[in-house]
Amino acid sequence: MSDPKFEDSVFINCPFDEDFEPILQAILFCVLYLGKKPRLATERNDSGENRLEKIRGLIESSKYSIHDLSRCQATKKGEHFRLNMPFELGIDYGCRQYFGNGRSEKRFLILEEKKYRFQAAISDISGSDIVAHGADFGKAVKAVRNWLVSEAGVNSVGATRILAEYVVFQEWYWEKKLAEGASEGEIKEYPTAELMMAMEEWIGLGKPI
Amino acid sequence: MSSKGQHVVPNGAKWAVRRAGAGRASGVFSTQKEAIARGRELAMSQGTELYVHGQDGRIRERSSFGKDVFPPKG
Repeated sequence: MSDPKFEDSVFINCPFDEDFEPILQAILFCVLYLGKKPRLATERNDSGENRLEKIRGLIESSKYSIHDLSRCQATKKGEHFRLNMPFELGIDYGCRQYFGNGRSEKRFLILEEKKYRFQAAISDISGSDIVAHGADFGKAVKAVRNWLVSEAGVNSVGATRILAEYVVFQEWYWEKKLAEGASEGEIKEYPTAELMMAMEEWIGLGKPI
Repeated sequence: MSSKGQHVVPNGAKWAVRRAGAGRASGVFSTQKEAIARGRELAMSQGTELYVHGQDGRIRERSSFGKDVFPPKG
């Protein structure tokens, strides 16, 4: 299968942990629903491929990027805060500034769980617009939708409509999985890669109710 | 495949009951318990499924009040 076009690709740089998964999945739905193609570092499972090289490739081939810095603070004593997300934002910023070949057209959305917290962790970007979602999937969808409408010129579908369609998709997904012989426990594991494929299938089928 | 079930979904600090594909919620409630009670009532009268979503937006429970092709195992 050929790689998606630069203009359609949205690089998603976010925490890949269990707590963040529902927000990531809602963001993926929003991006796909609005006609763009999410690009994740987890999209290929070739163990021989260097992770950083993979990320560099995704950054260079995506016009749009969503960087979520929600893990810029450790939540308990002894835990490290996570540097991957700001590091990849830095690579993306560098790509936009120095790569040339149309990459100056790249557009970023920077998300955080809490307003202003990032300023202490990464003050270099304190002049940038950063949207706080409060760990709420609905607010994250609204932020992504607003950004894609203003920066990517996608159809102006309301956030409320997108969230209502997310409900429709989930019902379709649940019934599809039951029909495939999955138990309810297995369905509730919500593996992101499988869910994303199902979102694409659902959209391809014309978003059945 | 789908049957337009009733969904109990988070709605800001409240909970809404919404039929899949409906333009708007059929009711908004202060507690999830109240929303589930109303959703169950509607699902029973319509002979369809009730899906209860968690605060994270994902379905966490399904109850069937129709001709359940896939009844829970065990």
